[in-house]
Amino acid sequence: MSSILVKNEAKLGLKLVAPAVGIIGLLVIYPILFNIYLSFFDVQLNGDKTFVGLDNYTDLLGNPRYYHSVGVSIVYLIGTVIGTTVLGLAAAVLMNQEFRFRNLARGLILLPYFAPVISVVFGWQFIFDPVNGIYNHVVVDVLHLTDTRENLIGNPDSALFVVILFDIWKHFPIAYLLLLAKLQSVPKDLYEAAAIDGQNAWGRFWHVTLPELRFVIATVVLLRIIWNLNRFEDVYLLAPNVETLPIFTYYQAFAGIVDQGGAAAISVIQLLVLVGLIWLYVRKVLKW
Amino acid sequence: MSSVILRNVNKSYGNLPIVKNLNLEVKDGEFVVLVGPSGCGKSTTLRMVAGLEDITQGEIQIGDRAINDLPPHKRNIAMVFQNYALYPHMSVRENIVFGLKKSGADAETIKQRLADVSEMLKLNDYLDRKPADLSGGQRQRVAMGRALARDADVYLFDEPLSNLDAKLRHHMRTEIARIQHQYNMTAIYVTHDQIEAMTLGDRVVVMRDGIVEQVGTPMDIYLQPTNTFVATFIGSPAMNLIEAKIEGDDLVFDHYRIPATKIANVDMHDLSSHDTVLVGIRPDFFEDSALSSPSDNLFEFNEIQVDLVENLGFDKEIMFKLGGEDAKARLDLRSHVKRQEHISLSVDLNRVLLFDTSPQGMLINAGEV
Ligand SMILES: Nc1ncnc2c1ncn2[C@@H]1O[C@H](COP(=O)(O)OP(=O)(O)O)[C@@H](O)[C@H]1O
Ligand SMILES: [Mg+2]
Repeated sequence: MSSILVKNEAKLGLKLVAPAVGIIGLLVIYPILFNIYLSFFDVQLNGDKTFVGLDNYTDLLGNPRYYHSVGVSIVYLIGTVIGTTVLGLAAAVLMNQEFRFRNLARGLILLPYFAPVISVVFGWQFIFDPVNGIYNHVVVDVLHLTDTRENLIGNPDSALFVVILFDIWKHFPIAYLLLLAKLQSVPKDLYEAAAIDGQNAWGRFWHVTLPELRFVIATVVLLRIIWNLNRFEDVYLLAPNVETLPIFTYYQAFAGIVDQGGAAAISVIQLLVLVGLIWLYVRKVLKW
Repeated sequence: MSSVILRNVNKSYGNLPIVKNLNLEVKDGEFVVLVGPSGCGKSTTLRMVAGLEDITQGEIQIGDRAINDLPPHKRNIAMVFQNYALYPHMSVRENIVFGLKKSGADAETIKQRLADVSEMLKLNDYLDRKPADLSGGQRQRVAMGRALARDADVYLFDEPLSNLDAKLRHHMRTEIARIQHQYNMTAIYVTHDQIEAMTLGDRVVVMRDGIVEQVGTPMDIYLQPTNTFVATFIGSPAMNLIEAKIEGDDLVFDHYRIPATKIANVDMHDLSSHDTVLVGIRPDFFEDSALSSPSDNLFEFNEIQVDLVENLGFDKEIMFKLGGEDAKARLDLRSHVKRQEHISLSVDLNRVLLFDTSPQGMLINAGEV
C-alpha cells in the first residue's frame, strides 16, 4: 500500500477509536489511579483514610501468606497456560482432519467455554465429592488403585491441581478456536512440499504446522497469562482454599481483617509485574 | 536416477474419471513432458507419481519398486510446485538444504550441493533472505534449487514457469534444459505451454480429457500428429485444416485441385474410401511463391486475397480464406505482401497431412517422418 493510503487509514482509525479510548480511559485508567492512591492509605470500613506512606507495601512484603499466594499463582499460571495451549493445539489439529460429523464435533468442543461457570463448577465439585463423586468411585471402587477416598478439593494442595484441570477444560476451546482458524489457512502445498522433502506426519507437524502457528500460539499464551493472572471466579467458586493472588487480594480486602489499602498495594504490584511481563514478552519473545 | 513406469493408471474422483488408462514409460535419464489443455489431468498424473494423490487403479513403478502404497516421503522424488511452496519461515539456504538434510547427506555434501545449486541458479546473493523478500523469479529459482539440490530418483515439475514473465520464462526454460542434460535427470514436466513442451522434452505426451492422445519426440508430434486435436494443439499458429472433396485422384476445394498422388504416404486405395478429408497445412509450410525456388512437388495456391498482415519482426503472419475458412500462413520477412493484395502461396506437398472427417480426425497419411 502506498504511504498516502496508509496515512489516510491511520487518520480514519484514530477517529474511529477516539470514543472508545475516552470510555476506556474513564473505566480503566480512573480505577487504576484510584487504586494506586489507595495503596498509600489505611482505609477504615466507614471510609476514613489515613495516609501511611509505604506501610502497606512493607507489611505485604513481610507477609508469608503473600509469598505463598505468589507461589500458588505461578504454579496455576504455568499449568493452565501450558495445558490450554497444548490441549487446544491437539484439538485444532484433530479437527482440521476430514471426518464425518466434523462440523458437529467442531461445535461441541466449544461447549465448556460457553457453559456458565457457576453451573459447571457444581458439576466438578460433584465429580470430586469424597463420598458420592465419580472420581472416587472410579479410582477406589472400579480400578482399586487405592483404598482411601480422597477429598481432592478439600485439600488445598490437590485442589490446586483440580483448579488447574478445571481451567484447562473450560478455556482450551478459545486456544483451539484461534489455532484452528490459523491452521485452516496454512497452504496445503507446504505440507506436500515437506512430504516430498522426506518428512513424515510428525516432521510435517514440526516443520510446517508449528512454524506457521508460531504467532497464534504466542498470542494464545499471552492472552492466557493476562487472563489467568487476574482469574478470580473460577478458582473462588470451585475451591476457595486455593489462594492465588486474586483470591488472596480478595480475602485481604473484604474478608476477616478488612484491609483495602493492603489489597490495593497487592494489585499495584501485580499490575507492575503484569506490565513488565507483557512488555518483555512482546518485545523479546514475539519481537513484534 | 531411475525409470518410471505407469501401467493402466486410472484416477477418479467419486464416479468422475479424471485420468483414463494411462500407460507411459519414462526411461532413466529421460525428460518427458506432459502437455495438454488446462484440466486434462496432467497435474493429477504427476501427483500420483509423487504420491500426493492415490491411484484409483493401475500401477506405478519407480526403478524396480512398485510405489502404489508408498507414502510420498519414502519415494525419493523431488518436485517443483507451480506456486513454489517455499517454507516461509526458512531462509533461502534452509529451504534449499531442507530435503537434502532429511535424506541423511553429510555436512560436506550438503555444503557442496548448496554451493553448486546457488551458483547454477545465481542465488548466492539471496541465501539469507526469507521467501517473502524475493521477487517471483527469485522464488521460482529457489523452488528449482530446492529440488535440484536433492539426489532424487525422479524430478517432477508442475508448470514451474507459468507464473513468470515471458523473458524470464525463456531464460529458465534454457536453464532447466541445460541442468537436466548436465545431471542426466529423469524428469517429468507438466505444462500447458506447447512451446515449453516442444523445446524441453526428449519425448512429449499430449493429453486431452485424461487420455493420452500421442507420445513421441517433438519432431514426431509436429510432423506426424496422430489426429486433428494434436495437430491443432501443437504448433503456433495452429495448423490450417481445410475440408476437401475427393474426386478421382484429386483433393478439391475452392478452385484448387491438389493431386493426392504427390502427397507423402497416401494409400490411394484407402483414400478412395473417403468422400471428404481434412487437408492439414502448417502456417510455416506456406511460402510466398514469388520467393520460392521451383520444385516439382510444390503446389501453388494462386489468387489468394490477403485479409490481414501482421509483422512479427523476423517473419510475418498473413490471414486469408481457404475452403471458406480463415487460414494463416507464416512468411519470411522478405515477402512484400500487403493487405488486400492478391498473391500466390506455395506448399511442399510432402509436408501436407490428411485427416479423416470422423470426430477423432485421425491422420490418414501416416508414414516416415
Ligand atoms: N480433488 C478433486 N476433486 C474433484 N475433481 C478434481 C479434484 N482435483 C482435480 N479435479 C479435476 O480433475 C481434472 C484434472 O485436473 P488437473 O490434473 O489439475 O488438470 P491439469 O493439471 O491438466 O490442468 C480437472 O477437471 C479438475 O477439476
Ligand atoms: Mg495443473
